[in-house]
Amino acid sequence: MDSNLYTLIVGTSILLFSGYLFFPEKGLIAKWKRALLNNKRVKIEDALKHFYDCEYNNADCSLASISGSLTLPKDDAAKVIDTLQDMGLITNTGDRFILTSEGRSYALRVIRVHRLWERYLADETSVNETEWHSQAEEMEHMMSIEAANELAAQIGNPIMDPHGDPIPSTKGELPQKIGIPITQLNEGEFAKILHLEDEPSTVYAQLVAEGLYVGQQIRMIEKSSNRIKFEANGEIAILAPIIANNISVNLIPDSKNVVKSFKKLSDLSVGQKGTIVGIAKAVRGQQRRRLLDLGVVPGSEVKAEIQSLGGDPTGYRIRGATIAIRKKHASQVFIKDIISE
Amino acid sequence: MKENEILINRANELRWELGETLHDSLLESIYKDAAEISKKTVKSFGDKESYAFDIKLDKILTSKLYGFPIMFILLAFVFWITIVGANVPSAFIASILLDTVHPWLKSLSYSIGLPFFIDGVLLDGAYLSMAWVIAVMLPPMAIFFPMYTLLEDFGYLPRVSFNMDSLFRKAGAHGKQALTMAMGFGCNAAGVVAARVIDSPRERLLAIITNNFSLCNGRWPTQILIASIFIGSLAPPYLAGLASAAAVVSVALLGIILSLVVSYSLSKTALKGEASAYSLELPPYRPPRIMQTLYTSLIDRTIFVLWRAIVFAVPAGIVIWLVANITIEGSSLAQIFIEWSNPFGLLIGLNGVILLAYIIAIPANEIVIPTVLMLTVLSAGLTGVGEGSGVIFELSSIQDTAIILHAGGWTALTGICLMLFSLLHNPCSTTIYTIYKETRSIKWTVFSTVMPLIMGIVVCFFVAQIWHIIS
Amino acid sequence: MNELNNCENCPVHNINNLVKLGINMDKFDYVVALAGNPNTGKSTIFNNLTGLRQHTGNWPGKTVARAEGGFSYANKNFKIVDLPGTYSLLSTSTDEDIARNFILFGKPDVTVIVVDSTRLERNLNLVLQILEITDRAVLVLNLMDELKRNKMEIDVRALSKELGIPVIPTEARQKKGMDEVLRYIDEVANGSFVCAPRRIKSISSKVDFAINDLTIKLQEQFPKLPNKRWVAMRLLEGDQSMIDAVNSGEIGNLEITSNVMERSLQ
Repeated sequence: MDSNLYTLIVGTSILLFSGYLFFPEKGLIAKWKRALLNNKRVKIEDALKHFYDCEYNNADCSLASISGSLTLPKDDAAKVIDTLQDMGLITNTGDRFILTSEGRSYALRVIRVHRLWERYLADETSVNETEWHSQAEEMEHMMSIEAANELAAQIGNPIMDPHGDPIPSTKGELPQKIGIPITQLNEGEFAKILHLEDEPSTVYAQLVAEGLYVGQQIRMIEKSSNRIKFEANGEIAILAPIIANNISVNLIPDSKNVVKSFKKLSDLSVGQKGTIVGIAKAVRGQQRRRLLDLGVVPGSEVKAEIQSLGGDPTGYRIRGATIAIRKKHASQVFIKDIISE
Repeated sequence: MKENEILINRANELRWELGETLHDSLLESIYKDAAEISKKTVKSFGDKESYAFDIKLDKILTSKLYGFPIMFILLAFVFWITIVGANVPSAFIASILLDTVHPWLKSLSYSIGLPFFIDGVLLDGAYLSMAWVIAVMLPPMAIFFPMYTLLEDFGYLPRVSFNMDSLFRKAGAHGKQALTMAMGFGCNAAGVVAARVIDSPRERLLAIITNNFSLCNGRWPTQILIASIFIGSLAPPYLAGLASAAAVVSVALLGIILSLVVSYSLSKTALKGEASAYSLELPPYRPPRIMQTLYTSLIDRTIFVLWRAIVFAVPAGIVIWLVANITIEGSSLAQIFIEWSNPFGLLIGLNGVILLAYIIAIPANEIVIPTVLMLTVLSAGLTGVGEGSGVIFELSSIQDTAIILHAGGWTALTGICLMLFSLLHNPCSTTIYTIYKETRSIKWTVFSTVMPLIMGIVVCFFVAQIWHIIS
Repeated sequence: MNELNNCENCPVHNINNLVKLGINMDKFDYVVALAGNPNTGKSTIFNNLTGLRQHTGNWPGKTVARAEGGFSYANKNFKIVDLPGTYSLLSTSTDEDIARNFILFGKPDVTVIVVDSTRLERNLNLVLQILEITDRAVLVLNLMDELKRNKMEIDVRALSKELGIPVIPTEARQKKGMDEVLRYIDEVANGSFVCAPRRIKSISSKVDFAINDLTIKLQEQFPKLPNKRWVAMRLLEGDQSMIDAVNSGEIGNLEITSNVMERSLQ
């Protein structure tokens, strides 16, 4: 009996230990693998990206901002800057550092890989959106530009990342920044979300939790110094201004073209009909293309025909065929003109 | 060449200007045209609404009240017909291939004086295992596959996946996995092929990897036999039948639960990186064509699977015979391995015989029990039973089988652990090969092979150790 | 079109590209592509034409690999290639790549599009896309028996006029209508039936502008390219195989003249 108990304990420990070693992402081996990344290269590339950000946003880069964004002590940050200078990637103009053309194209290569990878994760995988950025932060230092170009070809050479940032072309071209922070909208104005800043990740997670996504239509309801209240696809969102500042929008000047009331496909009960207005931009990649291919396009008439015995999915009659759509997706398809039979 | 580059650059500029809405906008235009054309050309006549019958049928088959009972009754009926209907032809084929042709071949080889070694390898090894596989595999598949195909052709199966989707969605899987699972109860290799109907990569991989948790045709007889010998005896005699039936059903249910649990954990971890795009079209009902179905399901599924099984069974038969007959210093390879692996076998509630049987009977679960019996007789040195070393056999009487197993040192724990291990071990080689053919990935093939095996070893280990502590 | 009329009985397929796509055209006069949505009876039609027996089932997406077969009609040998069933040709899945590239680069002499007549509107999505790529197509309106059971009818002549290609009603499972299918395949292949396929009309002005812009540029570069609009659409969608084909000049292989020259060499 004692020996059996002993065996049981040994067996359990072996099981727990191998779980600790091999567990995906959180296991020891996965951690070692990540730690093996070349640290020096990571620092250089991150610093370059930071310089590029400053340039793109017309802001000045300081030693303090570098050490802040790389979470390095100032001495180490200074060493990184020295290395960058030695490599000819940045130059000192006297009062500040600026990127050389070589440094700029290096930075754009890194950014291209980063944004392509984010787009790939968004479109082609089931990875949660709060993890896109952090995974891309690792991938940008590992993937070669050739591999990135191959990936781009595979996913149809996308032009935007899922946060609304343009992906630099192979030649390093990038269009100019457009859009205004949401906090500059006046009450009652309509706008479309152009960009959601993905750093810091805690703020981004908060935006995602509100169900916000690039391409979403919003209407400013009320703004004050301590809160911003707006409507997004028919639902009210309230954010602190400091968080809302991470959203840039494009004003829709002509409010006649704006759809003002939103009903969702999932609102239809069996027997009801409606007309599709559009699919939310949050439905991406293959899933979006599949819905479009099956006729879920603006103007399609749709009728909720049958419900599965579990209540979800629902079978909709669209363009003469019965298509089962899960509630999760049906709630991201907008409709109008609901008629009951 | 330069001109072409300018063209591409212009295309890229235009892409920036258009933004990301091009694809949406193109499909919107195409469907607008499609609507216009179909409005001009399609008319409905008669006073009733078109598709009235289909809609009515759909309402019944997916209703909260009738949907589940209908599905349960239909599937239970298919399995019942398969199990009951297969007995007679199985016995018939066995009586020809095993009881008539085999002795005849043996006497022929004796009369022409074939050396013992060649006679053993060819007739007792290769021929016998092939004949065995045909006898036990062909009839159930020839019944199950056509029935399944009829339901499929009629259009009922897409409704099953529609109904089951909410359950599978919670496990990160596709409702169609219910169908590949059902197919897996017939044959895992066929279940893996059936996963083709799932067009989303992640969900398809889930269905392929977890198909092995559906207790296939080759494992039901093992479960039933072991349950009636070991579980039935634990209960009072008048409850013996019920207890063993309950045990078999519990193992099958455990398989279903595990396939959902494994699907869930995989979709949260290893398969997170795979694409997922849910879509399910409910096709119109169509009257099935019975003759055509019989023909195609026989050719496409039954013969296909059977052929693959035979291809793997023949070499395995040779190996089985050889390990029992090649001797080193007086003991056969089988005995050496059994003695060597016995301590590990006992640790997980099994024994060396079972471990060896599962290794050499990898081509088909159907020949595991005959191999176990042969090896038990060989290793326990029993006389008066069996057909000789290396010749796999089965006994018609459950009592006689029980006597052999008890003589081999089996206990109720061995029985329980064997039932669990029969559910949780690597897929048969036919299925492994099919997984590779379907996924074209060595990584996922190895994973689907090793993962259930590790689960089986872990589960059996804990059951055995806890059993020892309690009893 | 003029060039085609110069040589009425000549095949139009691009033999070099077909070889590249893995099609052996020895002893065959024409190549026929079979396209359609999943679950429309495409495989049944394939089996009827070739006498082969592929499994066909009431399931979307049965044909996974590309199947090939052959048949003879009117003293000509036809090679028929069963393309994977797809809902569309505009997306980026392997199945769609195979189907799209075959129709564009292989230049089949005829593309037979099989549709489920009970779900015509949805099926037209694919039909209209294919008609952007090729001029030579035949529409098979399958499952007409099911259409009748559902109390509907389709004006076949009007549909043919709208689409500009032959439309043949069939009940493939009963083998009804197959003679007509064969006759029209032959007529379109040998050029005695000249199609005037419908092109997508309702394109939004912004997209239309971009497509026209590129089409004009393509016109300058490759004046004889028959499907410029499709090539322009694919370039705008960022299709890498199309970008490569333009960059390498390979797209020029699809020009009508190259075929005429090929023919005169033969």
